[in-house]
Amino acid sequence: MAETSFWTGSESYLCDKELAQAFHMARTLSMPLLIEGEPGTGKTELPLQYAKDNNLETFVYPVGSKSNVEQFVARFDHVKYLRDSQIEILNAQREEKGLSTRLSTGGRNPESLSDYVIKGPAVQAFQSPHSVLLIDEIDKAPREFPNDLLYALSHRKLVLPESGEVIEVAEENMPAIVITSNREQELPTAFKGRCIYHYIHFPDADVMRDIVGKHYPKVDPKIVDVALDVFYHLRNIGLERAPTTRELLNWLQYIKQSTTEEAVAKIEKLEGIGALVKTQSDLEKIQHMVLQNPDDYSRRSTHN
Amino acid sequence: MLESLPAAFRSHELKADVRTLLILRKAMEKNLVKTLGDIYNVLKAIIVQDPEDIGPYTRAYYEYFLNIDIANGERLNDAILRSETFRAWKEDYIRRQNNPEDLSDELLVERFLDAVHLTTYDIKEIVSGREIMDNDDPNMKDGEVDNPQDATRKHLERMADYSDMSLEELLERMEKIAEQQKTQHSGGSHWIGTGGISPYGHGGAARDGIRVGGTGGGKMARMVMNDRKYFPVDMDSILNDNNVDAALASLKGIMEESAHEQLDVEKTIQDGLKRGGLFLPELKSISQQKLQVILLIDNGGYSMDPYIVSIRELFKKMKTRFAHDLETYYFHNTIYDKVYSDPSRRDAVEVSRLLQKDSEYRLFIIGDASMAPYELNKYSLRTYHRIKKKFKRTVWLNPEPEKYWRHTFTLQVIKQAIEMYPLTPNGIEKAVKDMNKKK
Repeated sequence: MAETSFWTGSESYLCDKELAQAFHMARTLSMPLLIEGEPGTGKTELPLQYAKDNNLETFVYPVGSKSNVEQFVARFDHVKYLRDSQIEILNAQREEKGLSTRLSTGGRNPESLSDYVIKGPAVQAFQSPHSVLLIDEIDKAPREFPNDLLYALSHRKLVLPESGEVIEVAEENMPAIVITSNREQELPTAFKGRCIYHYIHFPDADVMRDIVGKHYPKVDPKIVDVALDVFYHLRNIGLERAPTTRELLNWLQYIKQSTTEEAVAKIEKLEGIGALVKTQSDLEKIQHMVLQNPDDYSRRSTHN
Repeated sequence: MLESLPAAFRSHELKADVRTLLILRKAMEKNLVKTLGDIYNVLKAIIVQDPEDIGPYTRAYYEYFLNIDIANGERLNDAILRSETFRAWKEDYIRRQNNPEDLSDELLVERFLDAVHLTTYDIKEIVSGREIMDNDDPNMKDGEVDNPQDATRKHLERMADYSDMSLEELLERMEKIAEQQKTQHSGGSHWIGTGGISPYGHGGAARDGIRVGGTGGGKMARMVMNDRKYFPVDMDSILNDNNVDAALASLKGIMEESAHEQLDVEKTIQDGLKRGGLFLPELKSISQQKLQVILLIDNGGYSMDPYIVSIRELFKKMKTRFAHDLETYYFHNTIYDKVYSDPSRRDAVEVSRLLQKDSEYRLFIIGDASMAPYELNKYSLRTYHRIKKKFKRTVWLNPEPEKYWRHTFTLQVIKQAIEMYPLTPNGIEKAVKDMNKKK
């Protein structure tokens, strides 16, 4: 049976309940799970932590602008093939000349084409039952890539190049496939139709407190409260690029080195705000707002 | 099985079809669907393909399964409160209470939502939670069976377990209930209420004091209904702050996508050398990278004022995202022989100079095309014809709603010379499509 037990997160990873349910559903139905959401909401972490927690094999395919299905499934190594077939001829010639030493092909046989197929993450995952396959940031891929994946996803079948070998996986052994996207480009409807879709909502302050706690268990809750207050305030004033979880964690990484009083003072002065705000116009906007009512920040942060 | 479901959800602009039903059926086979809350979750994962679908989806779900219509912009609480379903459920709920509590409407709605969105996962959580509690109880002796908590647990477990019912039976039952829902207008209390939460009308148990707090599903549905982020932007409304991004997406179509492929000589040689002299033809797909845009904006008169900001925002984004060669000019009401390179219309640029530019430029003229008839004289019209002749890909975007177009004489005349589209995301998309057809 496929690994279909309900997984709710581990000690170091707080899995949103809805996400956990969607993930469970995807595994039970052996469909890929497509996760979308703002950057820094833990999309990529889910399959990695799940695999780690359950001791499963993981195969990752990071998608880039030049990704193609060949890299993902398998490709044929023409260079090795050419070299080995030349070696056959060379060896025959050497034999003719009475040389006894032979050049080696490293155990590969040019007769058998499958020796020259280099397996990509998809084939490897299909061949190891109950593994986890992560296709990261699929929105970065060229437009054809998701469409090319459709066949493999819906038929659970991959065809290797040149050798024509067919890799098939039974539904029970299907790897848990997780696909993440930052929504930089729309994915084709047909593709989405074959996935279980989940959109990660941005965590609210309570959840965020837990997330911070999992990452930095030793930080004084008082610092976290003040920092979260500023963080959510920044998210609500309509910046061009709202700060994300990852940036909050980076900021806290810097803040937490000082004592509690110092840290609170640092936060109030918006020290190291560059970790949170990444565009010039946003920075100007914040400076402008702070200048306009300087009391606002100190009041907001101290009464907590 | 539930044949009317795809049509009902499609009427909310969602993508539902036979495959939706097939996956739902499979989910039932795999025991993923046992409560109404499960249906919400499973269907959501299948049907929703975009955060903007979550709002319409929630609405469709409440309408189809619970007979609760949520009006545009209405809060979920209010929709529930005025529904027949809720009234029936409330009656039943209060009747079944042993010692009736005095509950406010708000609390009742909360309980109602808890009941609707209770999922198998919640039940399991409660069951295992109770188990831990029972085991931790130091006063409990071995073999003590007549424990009221134990009884509830069994009850709960039973509710979660429908293995004794075949799939066909389940489906039949669901269908029957859906049918009743439609004909009797009984307020959908068959689904929830009597005997609780199972969609199959089984004797439920999560009543009588077992509060299923914080199931989350209800919270989520409520959050979604109050947030515009989870509804699609109106593609037919005139450009405003909310749909600028949708309009930008429509504009992106201007980057022609072609499946045209060509032999990549350079790469073929390079890769061939790497392979030690084995040359395999490498193909590259040809795409139009050069994108040149001229924007002519009518910024004279009050009629255009409300739109200028959105238009500028839209094309500013366009410039940073993909059209780096973008020139903007301004005019007042109509174009004679000059346009202006600054919004206050001081620096004049001769139209004849514009006409010397590369004919590959795409022209967007944005204006309401409404003016006094004498303003649109033959010189102005000649300018439009010359522009159109030089730049084949010229379109006019009009912020005026399309239904008023026929009342404006000058607009009709200009429309004869240059194709006109409404300044809405849909209009822009259509304009871009037609533009791409012309070479």
